[in-house]
Amino acid sequence: MRSLKNLVRARELPVFAAFLIVMGGTSLAVPHFFSGKVAIDLFLGVAVIAILAVGQTFVIVMRHIDLSVGSTVGFSAFLIGDAYSKGMGLGTGMFLAIGLGLLVGAMNGFLVAYLKLPSLVVTLASLYIVRGIFNEFATGQTIIESEVPPAINWLGLNRFFGIPYLFLIGFALVIIAGFVMKRSRAGRDLYAIGSNPQAAELAGIPVARRVFFAFVATGGITGLAGAVLLGRFNSANPNSGLGLELLVVAACVVGGVTIAGGAGTVYGAFIGAILLQGITLSIGALGIPQFWQQAVNGSLIIGAIALDRYLSTRVKTTTIMGSKNE
Amino acid sequence: MLQSGRNEAGATPMLTISNVSKSFGGVRALVDASLDLYAGEVHALLGENGAGKSTLLKTLAGVHTADSGVIKLNGQEFKQGSTKASIEQGVAVIYQEPSLFPDLTLAENVFIGRQPIKSGLVDWHTMEVESKKLFEGLGINLNPTAKARGLSIADQQIVEIAKALSTEAQVIVMDEPTAALSAKEVDRLFEVANRLRETGHAVVFVSHRLDEVFALCQRMTVMRDGSTVGTQLIADTSEAQVIQLMVGREVAELFPKLDVQPGEIVLKVENLSSDGNFQGVSFEVRAGEILGIAGLVGSGRSEVVRAVFGVDSYDQGSVTLLGQRVPKASPSKSMSRGMALVPEDRRQQGLFMPTSIARNSAVTLLKKLSRGIFLSGKNESKVADKWGKVLQLKSASLLDPVERLSGGNQQKVVLAKWLATEPKLLIVDEPTRGIDVGTKAEVHRLLSEKAKEGMAVVMVSSELPEVLGMSDRVLVMREGRLVGSFERSEATPEKVIGAATGAMNKA
Repeated sequence: MRSLKNLVRARELPVFAAFLIVMGGTSLAVPHFFSGKVAIDLFLGVAVIAILAVGQTFVIVMRHIDLSVGSTVGFSAFLIGDAYSKGMGLGTGMFLAIGLGLLVGAMNGFLVAYLKLPSLVVTLASLYIVRGIFNEFATGQTIIESEVPPAINWLGLNRFFGIPYLFLIGFALVIIAGFVMKRSRAGRDLYAIGSNPQAAELAGIPVARRVFFAFVATGGITGLAGAVLLGRFNSANPNSGLGLELLVVAACVVGGVTIAGGAGTVYGAFIGAILLQGITLSIGALGIPQFWQQAVNGSLIIGAIALDRYLSTRVKTTTIMGSKNE
Repeated sequence: MLQSGRNEAGATPMLTISNVSKSFGGVRALVDASLDLYAGEVHALLGENGAGKSTLLKTLAGVHTADSGVIKLNGQEFKQGSTKASIEQGVAVIYQEPSLFPDLTLAENVFIGRQPIKSGLVDWHTMEVESKKLFEGLGINLNPTAKARGLSIADQQIVEIAKALSTEAQVIVMDEPTAALSAKEVDRLFEVANRLRETGHAVVFVSHRLDEVFALCQRMTVMRDGSTVGTQLIADTSEAQVIQLMVGREVAELFPKLDVQPGEIVLKVENLSSDGNFQGVSFEVRAGEILGIAGLVGSGRSEVVRAVFGVDSYDQGSVTLLGQRVPKASPSKSMSRGMALVPEDRRQQGLFMPTSIARNSAVTLLKKLSRGIFLSGKNESKVADKWGKVLQLKSASLLDPVERLSGGNQQKVVLAKWLATEPKLLIVDEPTRGIDVGTKAEVHRLLSEKAKEGMAVVMVSSELPEVLGMSDRVLVMREGRLVGSFERSEATPEKVIGAATGAMNKA
């Protein structure tokens, strides 16, 4: 009974409802819109964003942001293909990809947690640094299908009971991360840090350590997402992952991960990613010029922020004791 | 109120603070402070603003580490310098502004960082049940699954106390817990504090309201200038004695007040009211006069001057400057009529920290200094130069960013900025908070000279010596109302503190 009530009140629900409305509306306007092919496109499109959104949620919940993920995910994808093409095997490639992610995460985390630099600026810098090194490393080359490790190629092409493996990887990660965020002390600390950083210090939470490791975890997940990105497109080039960071932040915000920290879940970010992908597909099916998609995404972000603001002010007026408060 | 009957000779103290000192830079915040605290007592900690109470509390909380001196808890050396260690040793500090997590549930706020764990995972159910028990134990009905956002200050304090109990704190320190509470909420807090006392906790209660101290506490310790100057049984003392202990010092040459002959009425405030902030405030200020407004923090002083200047709106009443009605809620109109406000919190309200000294000084004159739509840097520097000299500003260059200046010099820049508009009425809110004695004297000299030249000055201050030393007349506010008005000759510390704390009403 209580879980049902929680479900109805959940911030994620209106986002999912919006997704259903978009898909339903498009189906009415374009008969046969919702086919198996669209479902597969949806699943595949969501996979990478969903994984990146998991990491981004860790960071945004702490009132930080990580803009470096677009560069890191692209470079990671490239590294896996590059290692394989040089005969080093999938294991080495994955090691390099995740290692890169952890390294970038550690750099971001160190600067933000211990040197107290603003994460927006730090990760903007690492966005450029990683992309720059990536371009230098790749020297204009492209990873082509024959250079993609067969296991990754296979994961990208095959399905489990009709659902693409890549999506399932992302989904599994979302479930695990959601569980960790809800049921571990470290996960709860991230919410506390984002909700009131000074109070977190006073409560004895190891704030710097938590912030550092959250960035490291985000980096590691981003490296892993590189493999999924490679499997999705079966290729990689110096432009892979370009601009993805903003799409990921958008998915989080639309899904109710408030940019001011302290609130939101990876499930919400996941549903946000599904909604954005659904809109992309609908706009394609309706024959609307592609640039409108970005305008719609932008409007959604504003809508989400407005909704969050509305919800938080509504709570403010309902004090429990009814005593005066500013 | 019953005495606990605690006899100092009989029991050993739970907490002993011996000769603790602490300096920040050159400022000595604590000087040989000593305090004994017994289980089963509510112990009042009293003193003016800046007497060192907060530093002492923050040392107990693990925010600061004392430079010298010893703190012992139950005979063991108290480990300082870590908020976590303080909590683990059994000391809980509840700040004036409770520090809850608005996005988390009350249950989680109670148990954050120490959530009950079942097979490696946070056990939400147990956490909620335990919180509910704690709230009920305090006699308060709060829903542990509700978010903390929007909770009244009073309820937030209850959550903080529940949190303290959940850590099995023995010493519970409350820093001005009643400052933002209604009378009913204060009663409830007292019940909770008495319950804590009966269950063998030691409670430290910081308050400026003497009537509360006398109603709740068994003993009290007074702090002044960083030292503890006396500990007494409440039963053996009177409000007059406490005030004497709190004030205790000479009003020295720090206040070069010049004698003036007040001129025409510059500002007339009539029956000004703002719901929830202040009620029926009326006063006049004449040219050349310095009007001091005293009162406790939260008594509505700042709100009144903000409304007069137009930063905030008001519900009733009127503000008249030199015979002309000043439109409400328009700082720019107030400025053009000749009013200036130097706000309380200079970091947030008075200065553009990363911007140059020159620009900060001239920002109030942008229109005058502009050529067309562009600002003339030369004119800007000229203004800054002039006022920098008047104020004896110490800086390498007027192009330095303001944030590089010391607090005292920042305050001078704020003053320069407003004096540059050559106002008829200058309102200063806490003009010398947090600045060193030398700069303080300079600021006072400046205010006094400007008044002599015919400027009307309204000065809000929490520092009693400043109010008494600088003002021609002192108004006292309490709980949003004007409760006293004293001429310079008749304003004594006892009268002003008495009016501010409400002790006068009962005498």
